[in-house]
Amino acid sequence: MATATPNILVVEDDRETRALIAKYLRTNACNVTTATDGREMIRAMTDHRVDLLILDVMLPGEDGLSLCRKVRAESQMPIIMLTARGEDVDRIVGLEMGADDYLAKPFNPRELLARINAVLRRQAAALNASTTNGATALSFLGWRIDFRLRELRNPAGARIAMTSAEFDLLRTFCERPGRVLSRDSLLDLTQGRNAGSFERSIDVLVSRIRRKIEADPLEPTMIKTVRSGGYMFTPRVETLTPPTSG
Amino acid sequence: MKRIGFLNLRGISGQIAALVVASIIAIHAILTATFLLHRPDQPDLSIDRGHAQLVASLQLLGAAPEAERPRLFADIARAFPQMDIQSLPPGPAPAANEPDGHDLRGLHRRLGSAYRIFSLGHEEGAHKVGIALPDGSMISAKILPDQRRPPFWGGPWMMTLLFAIISVTLLGLWAARALTAPLSSFAKAAESFSLNGAAAPLPERGPEEIRSVAKALNRMRERITTLIDDRTRMLAAISHDLRTPITRMRLRSEFIEDDMHRSRMLRDLDQMRSMLESVLSFLRDDRKLESMTLADIATTLQLVTDQFADMGHKVAYDGPEHAMATVRPDDLHRSIANLVENAVRYGAEATIRLRMSSDTATIEIEDDGPGISDLRKDVMMEPFVRGDDARNMDETTGFGLGLSIAHGIVQAHGGELSLNDRQPHGLMVRIRLPVRQQDREAA
Repeated sequence: MATATPNILVVEDDRETRALIAKYLRTNACNVTTATDGREMIRAMTDHRVDLLILDVMLPGEDGLSLCRKVRAESQMPIIMLTARGEDVDRIVGLEMGADDYLAKPFNPRELLARINAVLRRQAAALNASTTNGATALSFLGWRIDFRLRELRNPAGARIAMTSAEFDLLRTFCERPGRVLSRDSLLDLTQGRNAGSFERSIDVLVSRIRRKIEADPLEPTMIKTVRSGGYMFTPRVETLTPPTSG
Repeated sequence: MKRIGFLNLRGISGQIAALVVASIIAIHAILTATFLLHRPDQPDLSIDRGHAQLVASLQLLGAAPEAERPRLFADIARAFPQMDIQSLPPGPAPAANEPDGHDLRGLHRRLGSAYRIFSLGHEEGAHKVGIALPDGSMISAKILPDQRRPPFWGGPWMMTLLFAIISVTLLGLWAARALTAPLSSFAKAAESFSLNGAAAPLPERGPEEIRSVAKALNRMRERITTLIDDRTRMLAAISHDLRTPITRMRLRSEFIEDDMHRSRMLRDLDQMRSMLESVLSFLRDDRKLESMTLADIATTLQLVTDQFADMGHKVAYDGPEHAMATVRPDDLHRSIANLVENAVRYGAEATIRLRMSSDTATIEIEDDGPGISDLRKDVMMEPFVRGDDARNMDETTGFGLGLSIAHGIVQAHGGELSLNDRQPHGLMVRIRLPVRQQDREAA
C-alpha cells in the first residue's frame, strides 16, 4: 500500500450515491471527504490533504471535465472520473483532460476500489521510477503505448486490442524495463491482491500479451521468463512527448 | 386550394382538359388551314383546264354567225389540236342527250342548258362528245382524259395531316408522362423511405395535386422522423437515468450481509446494466462516433475469445495471429462480442474464425445451437427480436439488440453480415469487411 489510509475526495452531485461511495470506501480503509460541486471541491482541497480525487463528469455548475483540467494544471493528484455516459468519446476526452482512470456508471464498487489502489500504487511507483515519470506515452522497438488513450499500436501503426488488465500489466513492464519483476510484485503493481477473482493470473495475462506483441509467442524476446520466478521486459523504452506528432 | 372547374390549369384535371382541348384545336386548325389552301369544293383548275378551253371554244362557236364558223373551226383546230373539234353533218340529235358521266355533267353545267351534249363513245383513249349548239348545228370534240390525280397518301395536305396527328400524339404522350412521372417517383420514394433521414425530401413540383401530395408526404416524413427521434430520446433518457439508481443499488448491495442474496442481486444488476448498455449502444449506433483507424483485428478476435473463455464459456479462435484492417476497433469489438454472446447463449461451444484475403476479411462466428430457420433469418436482424419470443425474459436473454447492433456496425464499415446454417446444426454468422479502406490516420 502506498499510504496507510489514503485521503479520498469524492465529488458527486447525487446525494445518495455520494453517501454510498463514501460509506463503501470508509469500510475499505479510506478517509473520505465529499463535495457536491466544484466550489465545495476546491474548499475541501484547501482544507484537507487529498491523495486522490474521484470526480463525477456531470456536475451542477462547472462540469467534471473542466474541473479535472483545472486540478491537473496545478498538481499531479491522481484523478478517477465517473460518468453516467459510457461512451468512448467521454473516456478519451476524460483521459485527455488528464484523468488517470475512468469508470462508467453503473460501476462495480470493487472495481472502483481496485482502480483507486492501482492508481495510488502507480503514482507511488512513478515517483521512484524517474525515467518514465510524467510520460504519457512510451515506445519500444517501434511499438507505442499511450497511457492517456490506453491504447497500444504496433510498428505499422495498427491498434492492438487488449483488456485493461493486459494493458496495465504491459504498462507496468514498460515503466520498468530491464528489471526482474516477480509475480507478486506485478500483482501488487497492477491489480492489487484484493481485486477479486474476476482478473486472470499474471501468467495467463503474460501469455496473452506475448501472443499479441511477440513475433513468436513460444520464443519470446520482449517479455522473458526469468528462471527464479518472474518476468523481465527487455526492449529499450523511450519516452514520447505528449501526442503532438500524430 | 380553390379551383374554377376544370379551367384551373394548375391542377391535373385542368391540365388534362387543356391538353385535350389544345390537341383538338391544333388538329382543327391544321385541317382548316389545309382546307382553305386547297378548297376541295371548287373545281381543280389544273384538272379542269381542258374543259375550260372546250367550253370557251364551244361558246365562241355558238355565238358566231354560221358563216364565220369554218374559219373559227380552223383557228381552234390550230390553237387546240388536241380537242379535235369538227363540224358534224346536221342530223337528228341522238336520243341519249342526257349528259352522263362526270365529264359531260361538268361540261353541261358550265355551258348552260342551251347546249346539248351527248356522248359519241371513246376513241383513242379520249372521250368523244357531240354538242348541239343553240342554233342546232352539231359539232364533235374530244374531251381529253383527266390528268392523273395525285396519289391520295402522297398528297401534300395528307402529309400535313399525318405529321400533325403524329406530333400531337407524341406531344400528348409526353405531356401525360410529365403529369404522371412525379407519381411514380413518389412510389419509389415511399418504398425507399428510411429512418436515418439520409434521403432527400420529395421535390415539390408539377401540377398542384402532385405538389400538394409531395408536401403532404414530406410533412408526414418529418412527423415520423420527429416521432422516432422523440422516442429515441425518451428511450435514451430512460436508459440514461436508470444508471443512477442502478449505481446506488450496486453500492448498496455491497452492504448486504447475506451472500446468497447479495450475489443474486448483483446478477440482476449486471443484467440490467448490460441491457441498458445494449440499448444505449443501439441508439448510438448510427452516430459513428469512433474514427476509423488501422488495427490488428486478429487481436480483437483473440480478446473476445479470451474474455468469454474467462467467463467459463467454450470459445475458440481459429485464424492468423495478426491481421491488419482499417476499422473502428471498439465498434468491431462490440459487434463480435454481441455475436459470441448469442452464440454461447444458444449453443454449448462457439468458434470465431478469421480468413484474410487481399481485400476482404471474413469473420465467422459459429455455434452448435439450434440455429435459425430460414423464415426467421431476416426478422432476426430487426431490433428487439429475440430468438425465442415465446419464452419470457430470463437471465440469459437480453433485449434482442445484439444482432441488430452487430449488423449496424458491420454496415457502417461498408461490410455485410449474413446468417448461415451450420452443419449438422447451429448458426454461422459470416461478416465480410473490406480491408483496404482509406487510411485516415497516418501511423
